[in-house]
Amino acid sequence: MKVWEYILRRLLLAVLVIFGVSVVTFFIARVVPSDPAALWVGPRPSPDQIAAARVKLGLDRPLHVQYFYYLGNLLHGDLGVSIKTHQPIIQDLRAYLPATLELVLVGMAMAVFIGIPLGVLSAARRNRFLDHFSRLVAVASVSIPTFWLGLLLQLIFFGHLHWLPIGGRVSIETTLYRPIQTVTGFYLVDTLITRNWPAFRDALTHIILPAFTLATYAIGLTIRMTRSTMVEVLQEKYIVAARAAGLSERTILFRLALKNAIVPTLMVLALSFVYSLTGAILVEVIFSWPGLGSYVTAAIINVDFPVIIAVTLVVTVFYVLINLVLDLVQVALDPRVVLK
Amino acid sequence: MLPKRSFLALIVLVALAVLLSLVGCRPSTPTPAAGETPAPPKENVAVYAHPTSFPDIDPSVSYSNDSAVVSNLYETLVWYNPPMHPQLLRPGLAERWESNADATEWTFYLRKGVKFHDGTALNAQAVKYSIERTITMGMGASYIWDPVEEITVVDDYTVRFKLKYSAPLDLIAASGYGSWIFSPACVEAQGEKASEWFNEGHDCGSGPYTIESYERGRRLVITRFDDYWGGWKPGQFTKVVFEVVEDPTVRQQMIEAGTADVTYDIPRANLAALDARPDVVVYTNPAFQNLVGLLNVRKPPLDNKLVRQAISYAFPYEQFIQTVVSGYAVQSRGPVPLGMWGHGDQLFQYTYNLDKARDLLAQAGYPNGGFKLVMTHVAGDLDERQVGEVWKAELAKLGIDLEVRGMSWEAQWDLGKSDPMQAQDIFVMYWWPDYVSPYSFLYSMFHCEEETLFNLGYYCNPQYDELIDRANELSGSNRAEAERLFVEAQQILVDDAAAVFFYDLVNTHAVRADIKGYVDNPSYPHVVFFYELSR
Repeated sequence: MKVWEYILRRLLLAVLVIFGVSVVTFFIARVVPSDPAALWVGPRPSPDQIAAARVKLGLDRPLHVQYFYYLGNLLHGDLGVSIKTHQPIIQDLRAYLPATLELVLVGMAMAVFIGIPLGVLSAARRNRFLDHFSRLVAVASVSIPTFWLGLLLQLIFFGHLHWLPIGGRVSIETTLYRPIQTVTGFYLVDTLITRNWPAFRDALTHIILPAFTLATYAIGLTIRMTRSTMVEVLQEKYIVAARAAGLSERTILFRLALKNAIVPTLMVLALSFVYSLTGAILVEVIFSWPGLGSYVTAAIINVDFPVIIAVTLVVTVFYVLINLVLDLVQVALDPRVVLK
Repeated sequence: MLPKRSFLALIVLVALAVLLSLVGCRPSTPTPAAGETPAPPKENVAVYAHPTSFPDIDPSVSYSNDSAVVSNLYETLVWYNPPMHPQLLRPGLAERWESNADATEWTFYLRKGVKFHDGTALNAQAVKYSIERTITMGMGASYIWDPVEEITVVDDYTVRFKLKYSAPLDLIAASGYGSWIFSPACVEAQGEKASEWFNEGHDCGSGPYTIESYERGRRLVITRFDDYWGGWKPGQFTKVVFEVVEDPTVRQQMIEAGTADVTYDIPRANLAALDARPDVVVYTNPAFQNLVGLLNVRKPPLDNKLVRQAISYAFPYEQFIQTVVSGYAVQSRGPVPLGMWGHGDQLFQYTYNLDKARDLLAQAGYPNGGFKLVMTHVAGDLDERQVGEVWKAELAKLGIDLEVRGMSWEAQWDLGKSDPMQAQDIFVMYWWPDYVSPYSFLYSMFHCEEETLFNLGYYCNPQYDELIDRANELSGSNRAEAERLFVEAQQILVDDAAAVFFYDLVNTHAVRADIKGYVDNPSYPHVVFFYELSR
């Protein structure tokens, strides 16, 4: 099968998945006991206000009719309006999604660049000091609670050393005097494009602690995963043959062995990437990072159902796309895997 | 077939492109062009580390923590003074105001020379437009204008309100929710999308500051409005940054490090240590907010006044306040909190006395208790839960089994609004006023209701209703008499033990010591009027 045909087929399937998710979330969100009309009006809604809001929001119509209206709007790219903030959700997402994506991407990059080399070296030097050390790092990083690590890092790097800021995406000085021109919403990218170097430096120093806090779990996972698959691969005959042929250790480890060992690690990383989109709530709160996690948590507490559905759909889209990309990467890396 | 390397690169590129297109390439907030120009000389900037984001900053809709921002951008016709001030009100955009004898017609005389941020001038038409927009939108606190029948522009600087019934319109006009005046031209220019436009980070006010930039959920910057009618003096803040910082420990670190100038909602256990620092002052003031447990007077056994009185004697008020809330509260005297006009400082207070409680139960026919009560509260509110747990232990000594049920507010309220015979026995919640009048407390929680809204103890007493309705009518024309009637009505509630009045809350704000002029005004909860401050 051709690659494009395969992609097309998967995308068509994805539409079905997204439709299914929209049905399930819509109806679940609406059977939870709550009154969206009352929330829409404010903290002290009067019966008249609630009645008016119910009509305005179309809540007086049967549930299935409401769903078809919702679906119709969705097809036009309209994700609806937040019951709490009364604002189009698409605008909220434009503000919160890039912030989270940037944080998670940097975190995942840290996991790749710290976790994979440590895992590889750990497997290569089995039962030696580096192996014990990296296993300790792995166990520690999957077991440390995020909120505790975040506060500890703040206390050290902000409180005592004054090296890094306590939270936020950029400093107040940047907002006031070197404002970032929003192009993509990723501050690191935007400041590079507009060559706003001081703001780039500022954004970079702000992202280090939260991204590292977010990455610790993934780092631990990556080390463990890479090590175990590498240990297996290093016992294969072709590695023995390569050693016999006198290839350098570096070539053997990183070019021959890692290529066959990396697929499961990538799978784990990709899944933890998508999980972090909404699961980074603790990191976002501790580091005052205005992301999707805090946004959707507030929505869940308030039973702001249009937001809950919209975020679920966005995350579903990411899941579907990431899975597709992963499958294609697997095809590219592993000749035994063929498209069907 | 593509070579594998290019194939991989292609996948990565496509993935990135999809990612960027999903995120969208339009700016989320209008930001001035970036540049590498050197930073201008340091301005006088204040930073308010705020624990929540700002749900809606449309002045007609704002009815939440967003008033912290809105109050610095817009003005009302009248302002409330902070407690202990000899005058309840002071002029705002209206220099003076008057009403007819029965408070059904109010005239406000506007200040001259006031400009809105779009350059247009304040006039009577703007006042009429603003309040009518708020009423028409019907959102937030718009219901406070319910008494208004007609608004008339008498001349450029005089506006008259004709009411459907007597009401204290001066108090209503001073409310921190739904009473803001804005420029009609500015709002009209945005057409139907005005609300959206406000929330992208714009304003149409006449206040001392105007919005400079807004990153939703994170940071809002306001900058001084040069043409503000009050003028500017050296030392006043030229810019104010509202930083949304949800984590209380982080807010504390910021105020200690001086990266924030004002904050609130610091863990109580840390307040004393914070106050001991030379560079931070912790201001402790009454908050116009209290914690009450509304008792279901329709359902046995709490339909019996003696039982209600008995359980009122079974809560260890003082001990709870000293230990659980570290002294940052005061035992309530009736439903109107300390510091507010209409508070009855001579009202009877139930104290912790289990012997008395036992006697009352015996008189009511329950010498050994032997019944069960259900108390509902908002899950996640630690103070409410602890009230329940402490009370449960005390009531157990009387043979009463208290079930403490934490629920989402929605579910708690739904149960409360259902059939009183099937609903909770005790409904625990906080109350705060929409506009600062005892009537907000006394009407909402205790006036007879045909359809239950906030009278969640289902109390109904025509004699009481008559007193507070009369007092409300008088609060515009004869405030002293109104106050007397309000206190008299509260005595009825206390005698009837219509609710357990646990405690009045206290506001604590941590402010850097070099900030001058800070005064907390609980009529505008957690609002900091930055125009009044300096450094």
